[in-house]
Amino acid sequence: MSLSARMILVLTCVGLISGGFLAGVGLWTKDKIAFNIQQEIEQAIKTVVPGTAVSEKLHEERAFTVYAGKTEDGTLIGYAVYASGTGFQDTITLMFGTDIELQKLTRLTILKQTETPGLGANIERDDLFLKFWEDRNIQADLTLHKPAASSPTELTSTEINTITGATISSEAVLNIVNLSLEKLKEKIETGQLEGR
Amino acid sequence: MEAKTLSSEYVKGLWDENPVFRQLLGLCPTLAVTNAVINGIAMGLATTFVLLLSSLVVSLIKKVIPNQVRIASYIVIIASFVTVADLFLQAFFYPISKALGPYVPLIVVNCVILGRQEAFSSKNSVGRSMIDALGMSTGFVLALLLLSSVREILGAGTFLGIQVLGSWFKPWIIMLLPAGAFIAFGILLGLALLIEGKTKKRRA
Repeated sequence: MSLSARMILVLTCVGLISGGFLAGVGLWTKDKIAFNIQQEIEQAIKTVVPGTAVSEKLHEERAFTVYAGKTEDGTLIGYAVYASGTGFQDTITLMFGTDIELQKLTRLTILKQTETPGLGANIERDDLFLKFWEDRNIQADLTLHKPAASSPTELTSTEINTITGATISSEAVLNIVNLSLEKLKEKIETGQLEGR
Repeated sequence: MEAKTLSSEYVKGLWDENPVFRQLLGLCPTLAVTNAVINGIAMGLATTFVLLLSSLVVSLIKKVIPNQVRIASYIVIIASFVTVADLFLQAFFYPISKALGPYVPLIVVNCVILGRQEAFSSKNSVGRSMIDALGMSTGFVLALLLLSSVREILGAGTFLGIQVLGSWFKPWIIMLLPAGAFIAFGILLGLALLIEGKTKKRRA
């Protein structure tokens, strides 16, 4: 057999065998991976809309997904918004919950971020950032409280805390939430989330 | 070559030819993921898995592969095992997979792996290649463990997430950042060369 024929044959075989092998592994892990992602989202919905037993996807678009949090008997108790936007280094993905009248934001959780460790990455920390997000009044846009407060009582109900040394990351989260809230209000006012 | 004992093939990966501190290979993942010990260990184990299986397959089929397409074949083989490792982590160790982010797919271009195929597995028997791969992986894991311990302890005051330094300690955040990776690595590399120099003198 000529050298080029052998080269082609060997590379083709290596490629085919690898491809087949990968297809098998892919099939084997596909459901498990989808389950993990689903699990993570459901867990987050339960965190941001306390009391949720069942959740239902109401609306989905790029970087903005709305879930309904419902009790066991199907009563709507709040909305959970899964959103992402630009952070300091890379995209921040988060989820927050609201009550059904859109009067207050119940809670916020960060699902994915690659902010600076020790500074921006503190947006994941409850004591520095997340606890300041509980029960915010969202009838108007939320604003940033500067300099950083040490206790939620120092903030007004429409303010959220800044992390010292990470204003950009704090602001990024705030912008994602404000933007998503606007979208959510518009969707609800125009009735786009009804009838599901 | 053949005169070497099997145990020396293993031991050389630990120090004399340690992939990170002696050969300076695979530094991209080494520097990138060692900001926490758990990430270092996970990266080390994923690399071990890929290195072992790639060495096994390459040493098995080394006679079939024409010299001209050997690198391409190695890359396909390595990439396949890396994808398997990536999918496996996503399926069974989801939090770790999220923490390692894009660095698992990057094992494909980890020079430790391609380097061992080219330098060793393509010229040696299956058994010898496996021992070599095991030695190199152990060396790689130990190096990652050392570097990530230094960085996590100084950068966050914790080890594997457990507080080891008291509240008096103000974390050196820079150790968790890329700059800290270079600083810590440079100092460790300097120490390694110092030790190597001392032992060489003693031998001579």
